[in-house]
Amino acid sequence: MSSTNIIKIILALVLGIALGLAYGWVIDPVEYTDVPPNILREDYRVDYVLMVAEAYQNDLDDETAVRRLAVLGSESPAAITTSALEYANHNSFTGDEIQILQQLLTAMQTYQPQGNSNP
Amino acid sequence: MSRLFRSTTLHFILALLIGLGVGLLYSWRLSPVTYVDANPAMLRADFKDQYRIVIAASYAATQDLARARARLNLLGDADPTAELSAQAQRMLAEGESFETVRPLAQLATDLKQGFASNPVSISPTPFPTFNTPIADVTSTPEETQETAIEIEEEATTTPLPTVFFEQTPLVPVTVETNAPRPTFTPTPGPGSPFALVAQETVCEPGQAPRMQFTLQDSRRREIAGVEIIVTWAQGEDRFFTGFKPELGDGYADFLMQADTVYNIRISAGGTFVPNISAPVCTDPNGAQYPGSLALTFQQP
Repeated sequence: MSSTNIIKIILALVLGIALGLAYGWVIDPVEYTDVPPNILREDYRVDYVLMVAEAYQNDLDDETAVRRLAVLGSESPAAITTSALEYANHNSFTGDEIQILQQLLTAMQTYQPQGNSNP
Repeated sequence: MSRLFRSTTLHFILALLIGLGVGLLYSWRLSPVTYVDANPAMLRADFKDQYRIVIAASYAATQDLARARARLNLLGDADPTAELSAQAQRMLAEGESFETVRPLAQLATDLKQGFASNPVSISPTPFPTFNTPIADVTSTPEETQETAIEIEEEATTTPLPTVFFEQTPLVPVTVETNAPRPTFTPTPGPGSPFALVAQETVCEPGQAPRMQFTLQDSRRREIAGVEIIVTWAQGEDRFFTGFKPELGDGYADFLMQADTVYNIRISAGGTFVPNISAPVCTDPNGAQYPGSLALTFQQP
């Protein structure tokens, strides 16, 4: 086999790889359908935290709020709420929304799991 | 020459296909596109259920129906109302308490009727304020100051019980009991008992006999969330109106046995209706079969 043919074969191989990557990454990428909430886009995450804060405003149930925030990842509930509050402050959330997020943050900062109330 | 050409072309095509295969293997298996900005429609089913619960809980607090609807639409359900009802029934079947399920049922009902049945103005009690340092989570000192002032102003103008925390907030010291704010309950009070105003026999050949309840207020509007207790010699069952919104907000039904006598009690108001049993229907051929009962209860 001549060197010209070898070059052609290598070019074809590279072209095939490029086509494969383009198809697999751009044209028909892997679609995720059953994702966990921890990879939600930030605005959705913040809206979720805001919902938890609105519900907390109604029931004042720390345990439930903590459980609901826990689905967003392994960070502490206070850290999750802090991130949401930062986002809200930078993205024109209303004063009321920021206030209830602040109230949730206060609750999460003071939250102690049941059975561990004595330091 | 022709053989050489065919050989070169074959090698070229083979190389192209191998390259394509390697490219796909890498892009689909070894290093697939990773999502970091997923939307709620992509969530796993159990997380979608959790999302709906939080939407409903938020709605119970804000009564902002448009926002709740927009949030439900994010989940990509073909029929968000039906999905809410189905989830509520699923949760009840799994043994969840009605108090847990009620926000879902309420949101489904309000979505169906198109307006909030429990406007926020009914329970205007403000949220208790916390006299605690504002956490430094804002990026600029100005913003922090603004938030602090805003909270402080709220604290000075709110006449309700206030919870005081020490500077080290791990162990809050409460001066007053932090009581949950009162919430509106859609079930009528004890002063307005339901009365059985209509009892009709429903003959449906081939259908299992059932009691079909419709509960209405004094203005004949159907009421969701009213508990009905059916007892018989061997047992008792409790259920609520409003879990089949397609049949009416105040609708509920209960499967009967043909040879059993039931007593009915409407939990709110304590109305008691004894000795209810499946009526006897006759088909065109003269054969008898157990029929259903349509029972309408109404507040005076």
